[in-house]
Amino acid sequence: MSRKECIAMLLAGGQGSRLGALTQKIAKPAVSFGGKFRIIDFALSNCANSGIDTVGVLTQYRPYLLHSYIGSGEGWDLDARDGGVSILPPYATQDGGAWYAGTADAITQNLDYIKSYDPDYVLILSGDHLYRMDYRKMLDAHIAHGAELTVSVMPVSWEEASRFGILTTDDDDRIVKFTEKPEVPDSNLASMGIYIFSTAALVEALEADAIDQRSSHDFGNDIIPKMLEEGRRLYTYEFTGFWKDVGTIASFHETSMDLLGEHPDFDLFDKSFPVLSNITMRPPHYIGPDARVSDCLISNGCRIYGTVRHSIISTDAVVHERAVVEDSVLLPGSEVKAGAHVRRAILGENAVVEEGVKLGSVDATRDTAVVGNDVVIGKGE
Amino acid sequence: MINDQAIGYITSNYSSREQSALTEARPLASIPFMGRYRLIDFPLSNMMNAGIKTVGLVMPGNCRSIIDHVGSGKDWTLDRKKDGLFLVPGNAYGTSKRGMRFLLRDIIANDELFRRSSKPYVVMMGSNIIFNLELDDIIEAHRTSGAGITMIYTIAERSQPDAQALVIGDRGRVREVRSGCEFGECKFMGAIVIDRELLLSIIEDYAMADYLDLFEAIRGDFERIDVCSYEFKGLVMGIFDQETYYARSMDLLRPETYDRLFQPDRPIITKAHDAPPAKYAAGSNVRDSLISAGCVVKGTVRGSILSRGVVVESGAKVLNSIVMQSCVIGSGATVEHAILDKNNLVPENSELRGTHDHTLVIGKAPLRR
Repeated sequence: MSRKECIAMLLAGGQGSRLGALTQKIAKPAVSFGGKFRIIDFALSNCANSGIDTVGVLTQYRPYLLHSYIGSGEGWDLDARDGGVSILPPYATQDGGAWYAGTADAITQNLDYIKSYDPDYVLILSGDHLYRMDYRKMLDAHIAHGAELTVSVMPVSWEEASRFGILTTDDDDRIVKFTEKPEVPDSNLASMGIYIFSTAALVEALEADAIDQRSSHDFGNDIIPKMLEEGRRLYTYEFTGFWKDVGTIASFHETSMDLLGEHPDFDLFDKSFPVLSNITMRPPHYIGPDARVSDCLISNGCRIYGTVRHSIISTDAVVHERAVVEDSVLLPGSEVKAGAHVRRAILGENAVVEEGVKLGSVDATRDTAVVGNDVVIGKGE
Repeated sequence: MINDQAIGYITSNYSSREQSALTEARPLASIPFMGRYRLIDFPLSNMMNAGIKTVGLVMPGNCRSIIDHVGSGKDWTLDRKKDGLFLVPGNAYGTSKRGMRFLLRDIIANDELFRRSSKPYVVMMGSNIIFNLELDDIIEAHRTSGAGITMIYTIAERSQPDAQALVIGDRGRVREVRSGCEFGECKFMGAIVIDRELLLSIIEDYAMADYLDLFEAIRGDFERIDVCSYEFKGLVMGIFDQETYYARSMDLLRPETYDRLFQPDRPIITKAHDAPPAKYAAGSNVRDSLISAGCVVKGTVRGSILSRGVVVESGAKVLNSIVMQSCVIGSGATVEHAILDKNNLVPENSELRGTHDHTLVIGKAPLRR
């Protein structure tokens, strides 16, 4: 196997319990997003667009759909003969097997995979944010600093800072302090959970962590504080583009709505850094004779006979006559029957809202209504 | 579903009799259709859905667009280690004679395809009559019939001089193939199942008549060669010229027609592209239209088909038209009863109008920088 400068490890094993009904049967990175994409597309596309051609995807929770979706990686031009995508689920050895016990443990258990490529650097990603990032620039900064670990950070408002892992740096971007959710933050640089390690430092840190009985085997809780304590060269890389969580129902809805509008914060139409995906091959969508569509994204295979306002309609979804859908996200194959009214809601894949049902509320202070995958909502429910 | 008994042979090297701006840039087989497809997708998908793993695709002289589109055949799972897609040479100009699809010369030139195979049957299709058929069942019906050839037909819904009619006798045997087809006659769909051994012997027996179409050559031997027929009851659309192209495209704006062609269990596959969903601005006004991924619609679209990446600016109107990939309709412009080939830019406040009886066709424009 030929040597790689930098390989990526994508942590995709989380359940995403905060997405509730949407992740009952599938892992969070496999949840549909943006009409025709799935959440993992954004991280994989960033890899492809950054010239990273070797990606290990660590899976654990309900992995079937995720595995079949990633397939050979061809959707992201990652079906390379030398490298490409490798799916890395937990496995057994002669000593038995174990689930991934934390983010760091998942990487520790796959050190052999990393070593087989003998990379200089390892990029560690998680697949639950919407952002476009050229990891190459982050790697350049890592190399320029002679860093052992570079943490990608995002300036957040001071009010919000206490919700994040906050990094305090000196004038040279070197990290001097890391505080998880500080009550009184002394910096507003939030960790994005994107790390570049020099391989030797990663291996050393993980091997030490693996035998530490007190460790929770987590990058944020254990690895970074320990490396700081040891006086290692830890630097930040500041990212100022759009970066938003899609890991809760509220953020999933809000971030979906961010895709709309004439000049959206995250523009799916930006061809210079395209979002790639594993495509479901469906015909163009049909807009019926009495339909009204306005301020929305509509995917292939859809049928729209009713009214759709300010919403995202995913592949093969159907909105019947006299139905109204507003401020909502219809995931693939979902259906809103005649005369139904769906407001500020997320309909799971193949979910059905029966005729005449009123679902959700336009009141932005109320929670977003969620219908799980394959669930049918009839009258009186 | 899986029928491992046949290989496929598709011809894409024949053209329309009519001159059209649409076929200046490409052969008939690679005309964009229904927003995201090309005509060639239909025979390829029909074969794929019947489990056919080996397909010989006969190329025209101007084959660039076909090669670009089908590539290695990956999208139709024809990028096989064993078998797969073979792009084979054909008569550069093919034929524009009515009805001709299976030029003997091309079959003979590519006889290796048939000699190397060990499958008992060959499915042969043209690429300008489109349908989505139960090909696996048809191969099975061919096998049980014991016939040497099964010609697939449909009952003609309209009179069509460019089509061919089958005269069918006892036990579904074909007596004659006639040029031109009237309403209610048995319209040949340009698709057959033939015994591979029979095809090889035809190659030898008729080598002297290689300038003929397969069925012209054997027409006198319909007694000796057992030719059976199969009636397909689904949707069949012949695309012969720009008039039929426009009319059949518009037929697909009716969901009940669209559903007959696009069936979930037999998907029509095309080259994969990464366009985002179509975007509709606040104030867009779209009805009765088929819109492809990557379109941005701010204006009005009625009774039209937009291909991938078309932009309709605010105040623009697209009415009863077919607009192909990457066209931009400038604000305030009107396009009516027109077919715009790829990459056209319609200037602001301009008008491009055909009439109900005469569709305006604008050829492919060079790529915009």
